Amino acid sequence: MTLLETLTDAPDRTAEYLRDRPGVADLRDRLREDGLALHALLALSILVLVAPVLVATVVSTKELGIVTSLADLAPGSHAVANYRRALVDLEFGQFMLNSFVMSLAIVVGKLTVSVLAALAIVYYRIPYKNAAFLFVLFTLLLPVPVRFVPLFRLVTDLGWDNTMLAITVPYIASATTVFILRQHFLSIPASLVENAKLDGVGPFEFLWHVLVPMSKGVLVGVSVIMFVYAWNQYLWPLVIINDQSQQVVQVGLGLLRGQAQAGDVAWALVMTGSMLTLLPPLVLLALFRKPLLQTFTIQQK
Amino acid sequence: MATREVFESRWEAVGLLVPTVIVSVVFLYLPAVRAVELSFFEVGFGGTSTLVGIENYRQLLASGEYHASVAVSVLFALVVVVGVMAVSLFLTFLIHEVGVGQSLYLVASIWPYALPPAVAGLVFLFLAHPTLGVFTQPIEALGVEVDWFSDGGQALAVVTIAAIWKQVGYNVIFMIAAMNNVPKSLTETARLDGVGRLKRLVRVYVPIMSPTLFFLVIMNTIYAFFGTFAFVQVMTKGGPSGATNILIFDLYRTAFQFYEFGVASAKSVVLFAVVGVLMYVQFRVTEEYAHYGG
Repeated sequence: MTLLETLTDAPDRTAEYLRDRPGVADLRDRLREDGLALHALLALSILVLVAPVLVATVVSTKELGIVTSLADLAPGSHAVANYRRALVDLEFGQFMLNSFVMSLAIVVGKLTVSVLAALAIVYYRIPYKNAAFLFVLFTLLLPVPVRFVPLFRLVTDLGWDNTMLAITVPYIASATTVFILRQHFLSIPASLVENAKLDGVGPFEFLWHVLVPMSKGVLVGVSVIMFVYAWNQYLWPLVIINDQSQQVVQVGLGLLRGQAQAGDVAWALVMTGSMLTLLPPLVLLALFRKPLLQTFTIQQK
Repeated sequence: MATREVFESRWEAVGLLVPTVIVSVVFLYLPAVRAVELSFFEVGFGGTSTLVGIENYRQLLASGEYHASVAVSVLFALVVVVGVMAVSLFLTFLIHEVGVGQSLYLVASIWPYALPPAVAGLVFLFLAHPTLGVFTQPIEALGVEVDWFSDGGQALAVVTIAAIWKQVGYNVIFMIAAMNNVPKSLTETARLDGVGRLKRLVRVYVPIMSPTLFFLVIMNTIYAFFGTFAFVQVMTKGGPSGATNILIFDLYRTAFQFYEFGVASAKSVVLFAVVGVLMYVQFRVTEEYAHYGG
C-alpha cells in the first residue's frame, strides 16, 4: 500500500475502526445528528451566561482590577494576596463564618421542625388536618417585607438584635419544606406503612428507620434549597445586624463596595469578595445537582 | 384499603406540630397582623403611636413618588418576567434538542440559581461601570453613551438585565423537567410531519408545558417584587431620581432610613395584597388544570 493510498483510505478506515467501538461511533453519529450549529449556539449562550463570573474571577487575581480593554483580561498574579487580604484583613473570613453558622442553623432547624410537622400531617389520624396544613401553607403569603417593621420591633424587644438568634429563629418555620416533605411522604406506598404498624413500630422508630432512609434524596434536596436560600438572605440581616463582627457575607460585600467607591480598596478585592460569596452555594449545587433537581419537580405539584 | 394514617395519638400529633405552629404564630402571623394594625398609626421616634385611621393610606394614594414607585415596579416585573422566560425557554429548548453533552450544558445553565443577588448586582455594577466597566467600551463603540449613574432609563435597564441573569437558572430547572415530560411520540410525529424546530417549540411544547410556564410566571413575578432588593441596594440605591425605586426598596427606605414605621406598614400591607392576589390566581388556575387534567 502506497503512502497516498494510506492517506486517501484513512477516513474510511477510521470509520471502520470507530464502527467497531459502539460508544465512539454512537457518539459521532449523535454529534452529527445534533449538528454543529446547535452546539455553537449552546456554547455561545452559556458563554454569555458565564462571562460575567469569568471576568470577575480574572479580575479577582489582579492588583487593581481596572479593566478597560480585552487585553487586560489576562489573569493577574495577585490571587493569593487578594484572597488572603479579603479573608483576613477585610473580615471576609468572619463574615463567611457567620453566614455558615446562620445557614447551617436554619437548615438543621427547618429540617427538624418540618419533618416533624409533615409526619403529623401525613401519618396521624387527627381532626382539622387540612386546616393545619393550610395554616402552614398560608405563611407563603408572608415574606419578610410584609412584616418586617413589627418583626424588627419584636426581635429588638427580645434583645436578639445583633445576635445569631435574630437571623435564624424567624426562618425556622417553612411552608415550602413541609409541603415538599408531605408530597414525598404521600408518594411512599401506604402498604409499607401498614406493615410497619403491624410490626408495632412507634412513630419515632418509623421516622428514623423507615421514612428517613426512604427520603434521603429529598432530604438532601430540600437541605440544599434551604442552604442556598439562607446563604443568599440580604434584607433582614441588613436591617437587624449592625455590629460588623456579627454581619453575614452578603451585607459584608456591600461594605466592601462602599470602601471601593471611596477609593480605599481596589475593585479587584470587591470581585474577590464576590467570588468568595458565590462559592459555597455553587459548590453545593454542583455536588448535589441530582437530588436538587428531583426535589424541585416535587415542589411544583 | 391501605391507609397512611396509622398513628392515633392526638397529643403526639399536636406535639409534632407545636414547633412549626409556635414559630409561625410568633414570627410570621403576629408580626403580619401587627403590620396591619401599625398601618393605622403614626409612629413617632420615641415609639409613641397615634391612631390616625386611614391617613397613611390616603398619603400613599396622594403621593406622586409612591405612584412612580408602583409604576417602576410593575414595568420592572413585566420586563423581568418576560425576559427571564424568553431567555430560559430558548436555552431549555437548545438543551432539550442536543444529544451529546446534555447534562453538561444543563449544569452550565442552571448554576445562576445559586448566585446570590448581592453578588450578581455587584458584578454587574463593576462590569457595566460607566468609567471602569469591561463591557462599557464595547457598548460605547456601538454608539451608546453608557451613563447609567445619571440616566434613569439606563439604570433601570442595567438592574433589569442583572435580575434576569440571576433568575435564568431557576427557570431552566423547571422548564427542562416539563419539556422532558412531553411524550416522545408527539415529537416524532411532529418531525415526520416536517414541522420545523421553532414551530415544534411554539405549537407543541409550549402548550403542553403551560402549567409549568404559568407556575413560573407567578414565581418570577414574586421574585421581581420581593427577591430583587439586593440588586437595587447594591447597584443604584433606587436612583437616579427614583428611576429604580421599586416598591420593596421604597419600603425599606421608608422604614429604616426615614423611620416612618406607620407609613412603612401601610406599604407592607400593599405588598401583602400583591402576593395575596398572585397566590390566589395561582391557586385558582392550578385547580383549573387539575380539573381538566391538563
